[in-house]
Amino acid sequence: MTAAFLRTRAFRDIVVVLVLVFGVGSIAMLLAHVSPIVGFGALFDGAWGTKGEIAETLVQTTNLLFPALGIAIAFRAGLFNIGAEGQLVMGGFAAGWLGAQFPLPGYLAVPMVLAAGTLAGGVWGAIPGIMRARFKANEVIATLMLNVVAILLTTYLVTGPLQQGGANGSETGPLPKAAQLTHLFDTQLTWAFVLALVLAFVLRWVLQRTIFGYELRAAGDAPEAAKRAGIDLGRTALIAMSLSGAIAGLGGATIVAGALHRFNTGLSPGYGFIAIAVALVGNLDPLWIVVASVAFGMLQSGGIAMQAEAGVPKEVVSLIIGLVIIALAGRRVVASLRST
Amino acid sequence: MNATLAAVMAILGLTLIKATPLIYAALGGVLSERAGVVNIGLEGILIAGAFTSVVVSGATGNPILGALAGVLAGMLLAAILAYVTTRLAVDQIVAGTGLNIAALAGAAFGLVLVYHQPGASHEVPALGRTGETVLVVLAFVAAGVLHLVLTRTPWGLHVRACGEDPSAADSAGIDALKTRFWAVVIGGAIASLGGVYLSLAELDLYSDGMTAGRGFIALAAVIFGRWTPLGATGAALFFGFFAALQFSLQRAGVPSELLQALPYLAALVALAGFAGRVRAPAADGVPYVRS
Repeated sequence: MTAAFLRTRAFRDIVVVLVLVFGVGSIAMLLAHVSPIVGFGALFDGAWGTKGEIAETLVQTTNLLFPALGIAIAFRAGLFNIGAEGQLVMGGFAAGWLGAQFPLPGYLAVPMVLAAGTLAGGVWGAIPGIMRARFKANEVIATLMLNVVAILLTTYLVTGPLQQGGANGSETGPLPKAAQLTHLFDTQLTWAFVLALVLAFVLRWVLQRTIFGYELRAAGDAPEAAKRAGIDLGRTALIAMSLSGAIAGLGGATIVAGALHRFNTGLSPGYGFIAIAVALVGNLDPLWIVVASVAFGMLQSGGIAMQAEAGVPKEVVSLIIGLVIIALAGRRVVASLRST
Repeated sequence: MNATLAAVMAILGLTLIKATPLIYAALGGVLSERAGVVNIGLEGILIAGAFTSVVVSGATGNPILGALAGVLAGMLLAAILAYVTTRLAVDQIVAGTGLNIAALAGAAFGLVLVYHQPGASHEVPALGRTGETVLVVLAFVAAGVLHLVLTRTPWGLHVRACGEDPSAADSAGIDALKTRFWAVVIGGAIASLGGVYLSLAELDLYSDGMTAGRGFIALAAVIFGRWTPLGATGAALFFGFFAALQFSLQRAGVPSELLQALPYLAALVALAGFAGRVRAPAADGVPYVRS
C-alpha cells in the first residue's frame, strides 16, 4: 500500500479529531459562559501542572491503554469486540476476589492477582468467540449483552454467595499489601503503566512479525482469501477474542491492584467504551494507540480539573469522545471485514 | 379471591408500564435492522427523546409540544447515524456506540446549562394519566402498523430488500441508501417515543441514567423477537413482565441481578441458536457501498 495514502488518511483523521476537540469543546465552553482559553487552560493545567497531576494523567492513560490494545487485537481480526468494559470488570473482579481470599507471599501475590484478571477477562472474551466460531452468532451483540451481564453477575457475587469480610456494598474485601502494585516516584502511578507500554510493543511485534499475527490480520483484512489459504477462521476468531478479553481483563486487574486495592463494581467509568475511541484514533496500531491513550488520558484527568477550576461540566469530555468515535467509525476497519 | 385478582391486575398493569418504552425502542430497532442498519444507538435516542421533551415542556409549559420535540430530537440523532452509516458507509456498530456516549454526555451537559444543576431536571408539566394511557395503547398500534407496513406495503418490501441484499435492491430500481436512511430516521422517531414515555408520562422530569440500558434491552428484544415487529413486542412484554415481577420475586428470594440479566441472557441464548432458528436480515450491519 502506498505510504503517501496512509499518511494523508491519518493526517485527515488527526485534523478531524483536533477540530472536534477544540471546536466542540470551545462551543460547549462558550455555552457554559466560560472562555475556551480559560477552559482548555484549566484542562491542560489540570492534566500536566504538577507531578501528582502528571501521574494521574498517566494512570488514566494506563487504564485506557489496556482495553484499547485488547480492542485493537479483535478489530484487526475483523471482530467487533465492544465488550472490553465487561471483560475489564470480570478481570477486576477475579483479581480482587482471589487476591483478598487467598493471601499469598509477596513475590506470588501480584502475579496471581494479575494472572487471575487476565484469565477471567480471557474467558469473558472467549464466550462470544466460541459463540461466533460455533454458532456463527454475531459477536457485536453478544459482547454488548455480556457487558451488562458482567456488571450484574459481579454485583450478585460480591453481595451474595462470594461476599467477603470488610466489604461494604458492591465490593470485595481489601487486597493484602503484598498483592498491591508498588507506586512509582512517590505518586499514584504504578508499574502497571510500564507493563502496558511493554505490552504495546509486544503486541506490535506479534501482529507484524509472527505467523499468528499474520493470520489474524489476514482473517480481518480478507476473510475469504484467508479461508482459501487454509487459515481456520473460527479458531482465529476464538483466539483473537480470548486474547482481546485477556488484555482488557489484565487492565481491570491493574486498576484493582494499583489504585482501588479492592474490586468495586463501579471500578470503570466506561474505560472499555472510551478505549474504542482510543483504538480508532490510534489506527489500531499498538504504538499509535500508546500516543492516543496519552491524549485521552489527558482529557480524562484534565476534565475533572476543568470542571473544578473553570466551571465547565466534565461531561464535555465524554461528549467530545462520543463524537470522535462517530467521526472515526469509518476507519479502514470497515472496508472488508464484515463479509462473513 | 378479589385480593388475588387485584394483585394480578397490578402485575399486568406494571408489565404494560415497564414494557411500553421497550416496545417503542424495539420497534425502532426492528425497522432499522430490517433495512440493514444495526442501531446500537437506541439508548442514545431514548436519552435524546427523554431529555429534549422535558426541556421543551418546561420551556413552553406544553407537554405535547415537549413530546413532539422529543420525537424530533430522536429523529435528528437517528439521522446522524443514518447519514454516517449510509452516505459515509462507516461502521454502524462503532458509530452507534459513539452516539450513545455523546447523547448521555450531551444530556448531562444540557442539564447543567438549562437547570444549572447536575443529575436531574426540575419537574415540568407532564402528559398525565391520559397521556400515559394514549402512549401505552399507541405502542401496540405502532407494532401492528409496522407489521402491516413491513409485510404489505411496497415501501416495507423495499426496506426488507435493502436488509437482505442492498445491491440487488439497487439493481431493481430501489434506492437502497435512501431507503436505509429513512428506515433509520423513522425508526428513531418511534424509538424516541420510548424516551418521551419515560420522562413525560411515567415521570415528569429527566435524570441522568434514567433510560438505564433500555436501549440495549430493546436490542435484545429485537433478536429474541426474531426481527419482527410482533415478535419484538412480545419479547418486550416478556421482559416487562419480569421487570414487573422483580419486587415480588425479590421478596421470594430470587436475586434481583438475575432478573435484570434475564433479557440479556435470553438474547444470548437466542443468538446461539438454542431457541430455534434465528436469522438476522442477511445484510444487517453491513455497510452498503455502490460500486
